[in-house]
Amino acid sequence: MASNQKTRPVRTVCPAHCGIDACGILAHVKEDRVVKVAPADFPNPRYRRICLRGLSSLEITYHPDRLKYPMKRAGERGSGNFERITWDEALGSIAEKFKAIATKYGWPAVAWVLGGPGAGTTKFGAYLRLASLTRSTRVSAWGYGDSALPCGSRVLFGSQFPYAFLFGSLFSSSSAPEILVVWGANPGESQPLNLMRPIMDAKEKGALLIVIDPRFTVTASKADAYLGVKPGTDTALSLGLMNVIFRENFQDDAFIQKHTVGPYLVRTDTGEFLRAKDIGLQDGMDYIIWDIVSESPRSRSTANVKPATSGTFTVNGVACKTSLQLLMDLAAEYPPARTAEITGISSDIITRLALRIGSAKSVTFVTHMGFTRTYHGDISLRALGTVAAVTGNVSATFRGGHLPAVLNWKPFLHADPQKPSYTRMGILQLYDAVTSGKPYPVKAVWFSFINFLNQCADSGKIANEFFPELEFIVSTDLFMTPTARYADILLPVCSYLEFSDLIPFPYPYLQLQQKVMTPLYESKSDVDIAAELAGRLGFSEYFDGGEESFIDLILASEDPSLEGITREKLKQGPMPLKFIPKMDQEIDIPFSTPSGKIEIYSEKLRGVGQALPVFLEHLETPLKPEGKKYPLAFIQGHSRFRTHSMYANVTSLLEFNPEPVLEINPRDAQERNIADEDPVTVFNDRARTTLRARVTEGVRPGVVNISEGWWIDQFKEGSVNHLTHAVMNPVQEKIYEPNMHMNDVAVEVIKYQEVES
Amino acid sequence: MKKRLGLVIDQERCIGCEACTVACKIENHGIKGWIRVKTQNAPRKDTPDGRFPDLRMHFLPVLCNHCENPPCVDACPVEALTKRNDGLVFLEDEKCDGCRICLEACPYDAIIFNPKKEKAEKCNLCAHRIDRGLEPFCVICCEGQAIHIGDLNDPAGRISQLVSKPATFQRNPETGTNPSVYYRPPQQPRGL
Repeated sequence: MASNQKTRPVRTVCPAHCGIDACGILAHVKEDRVVKVAPADFPNPRYRRICLRGLSSLEITYHPDRLKYPMKRAGERGSGNFERITWDEALGSIAEKFKAIATKYGWPAVAWVLGGPGAGTTKFGAYLRLASLTRSTRVSAWGYGDSALPCGSRVLFGSQFPYAFLFGSLFSSSSAPEILVVWGANPGESQPLNLMRPIMDAKEKGALLIVIDPRFTVTASKADAYLGVKPGTDTALSLGLMNVIFRENFQDDAFIQKHTVGPYLVRTDTGEFLRAKDIGLQDGMDYIIWDIVSESPRSRSTANVKPATSGTFTVNGVACKTSLQLLMDLAAEYPPARTAEITGISSDIITRLALRIGSAKSVTFVTHMGFTRTYHGDISLRALGTVAAVTGNVSATFRGGHLPAVLNWKPFLHADPQKPSYTRMGILQLYDAVTSGKPYPVKAVWFSFINFLNQCADSGKIANEFFPELEFIVSTDLFMTPTARYADILLPVCSYLEFSDLIPFPYPYLQLQQKVMTPLYESKSDVDIAAELAGRLGFSEYFDGGEESFIDLILASEDPSLEGITREKLKQGPMPLKFIPKMDQEIDIPFSTPSGKIEIYSEKLRGVGQALPVFLEHLETPLKPEGKKYPLAFIQGHSRFRTHSMYANVTSLLEFNPEPVLEINPRDAQERNIADEDPVTVFNDRARTTLRARVTEGVRPGVVNISEGWWIDQFKEGSVNHLTHAVMNPVQEKIYEPNMHMNDVAVEVIKYQEVES
Repeated sequence: MKKRLGLVIDQERCIGCEACTVACKIENHGIKGWIRVKTQNAPRKDTPDGRFPDLRMHFLPVLCNHCENPPCVDACPVEALTKRNDGLVFLEDEKCDGCRICLEACPYDAIIFNPKKEKAEKCNLCAHRIDRGLEPFCVICCEGQAIHIGDLNDPAGRISQLVSKPATFQRNPETGTNPSVYYRPPQQPRGL
């Protein structure tokens, strides 16, 4: 029977990696047990929210399968056989092993593979600090699906994220845009979930909602028009839209002149921007425009000139075009009929969408990471952003771009300012470092906040080629995940109710994730684990004071936005940033691109033929499936029942959604004699994955979908990422970091047959 | 005038996430959530109706309608079901003897039998919260902000205004029970 003791409310935060929504949570605590979680209040009630996963989060904390104590491997890697050891033995043996590997190969052979810490900060910072002090390797997790979007955004806007430029106004605008285009994102179910309310608010105020997606998602179900595009053809669609926009002269010339490189002259012989020095003008490297008043070339900084936006000019015998003209020439190759053939959207719809976008007063474009998980996903983002730019639909500069930018990350990224820090490596580059020692060997990995085997590309390669090359694997987790099974030492971590952290979300708020209850079993927080290991490696003074001192440290950035915000005050509730830039005003500072403008033409990518957002056929997704060995495009939408692979083991969510299914269109199913509920095998040269078919019109013919995040052991055989590939795009590697292209995979599907042994 | 507490559920804002169902189960510890989300006209939950790409998918959260003329109250032989003064149709767990006559009487399938407790269960509109001045738990947990609660007899109230909008409907009005749960239909797509 429940005791009569009253429950006390404690405000904390769900920091799950769901879209960084960081819902405020009111935990109802009885003695030391959390009996209920509820959404906590915010000064602005719009931010009071919770989702079905957050509501189920007690099932994570009190899950019977939680890892309860440190363990060392007692069988083959992957077997799941472990034996209990003490924390002292676990951390002592990790320290010894790391030192031994460092002696033999150097510290960079020890790699910290830190996945998505969600909204958390200090738990991530603790490991960064340790990586920095030991000068080992920090593996960036951007490349496991999220680096192509920053690649594209860096080229076009010079910023890590394009969000503020494309849809920042949804956060601060009092008036709705005329048109909202949600392209390759499903905020109704996945990231950016915090946008669904503002999107529906805008629609209520009259915005026309357009959704472009190969699947008819929850978000699509709210659309005024749904465009079921073929996966990987988004760049062609953008070029097709621009074809009509330019043909009808709907581009925003004033915006192009002011904020883009559109009027800058490009030498047609080299593809470089024409510079002042090339034509004997004084301003050296300055960009050159064609002044239509004097009918002569002028450097862009010349006063009282009227630059031509389009056109071909000969300057000192050098043939030049404005970069907008080059874009127009490219778009001219994509008239609606051809675009329709590539994208699967009818030419009539393409034309009408282009006319709507071109003639609208304001258009807000919403996209996210999934859109860019194809081989040329960075270009997809650039193309979409270019449509926004040429129509003048890029709104104000979001100074800093992202709230964590105002935090004090220096002591974590660079713990000892007198010494060099860690070496950074992309997660896809780690595959080579481990399997072939390039650019240097990595022999030990530490996994935190990541279910590497389950969630990274080409699981078979990881199990058969990557793990066997590692001398030592440490994993911190709550559960015996498919990855945890491969650990040599496995450490139990706290659930979010059992430790404190600083949460710089949802924008513009900071919140305190307060420790609500004593950690269960022998679990420890990541900060405590890092601190205890640091002590054994000789760095204990950098970890004095634990989580609380780290929270104070990260708040001590001296950024004026954080003035007056303290850990003590945050215990009372969320606090907004002191200065909140408006995001629905005109751009007022230069872009961080080489030119300071939106680079619809990127000079540095001319050598690889990608100066413009060219449409390039993707790696596997077949444009013309007829006769192909693997004719179906395989994509992986996100499910509301999981946050990546988190919550895949929660009973009450499994009641709604018990097992993985393959979504396949009835037309494709019929061709293959597949009925709803049939067990089917999805295969390519890499793997076979077997699961039940869900025959539904909700997915485009020629496309199949399995929602990501299911654990490998929940499939009859294979898994989502057994089918994906770990191929690197060298251009992305050059720009920022190569991405995994999970939505650029070709497969075939057959009815499952028992394999005879 | 007497209170008549009711709900207006806006199908346009409902994203079918089922947070309401999970929230209900957490708050009320039922055998399952007493508010459940249906996908209308669909071959199965969370799938659209139509032929690609001409598709529709509308979600309909259903629960006890807290009817003006509740047949379950009349049917219950042990007076476990009562119509409260504020309009709630209240099922008193202690009094229920598990005879299941109410399950037959309800035209909306809103009453659930809990075989573990051998008792009937249904949405009481979180009466324990209402009595403390709080909104039902599903209302505050609704991601789409689609569920509105209020007094249907207060003509100036927000939900009366929603009810008076064209096309607002009750489920199966022909049953004559006059449900206190109203729905706003989804917006028709305007096209390009």
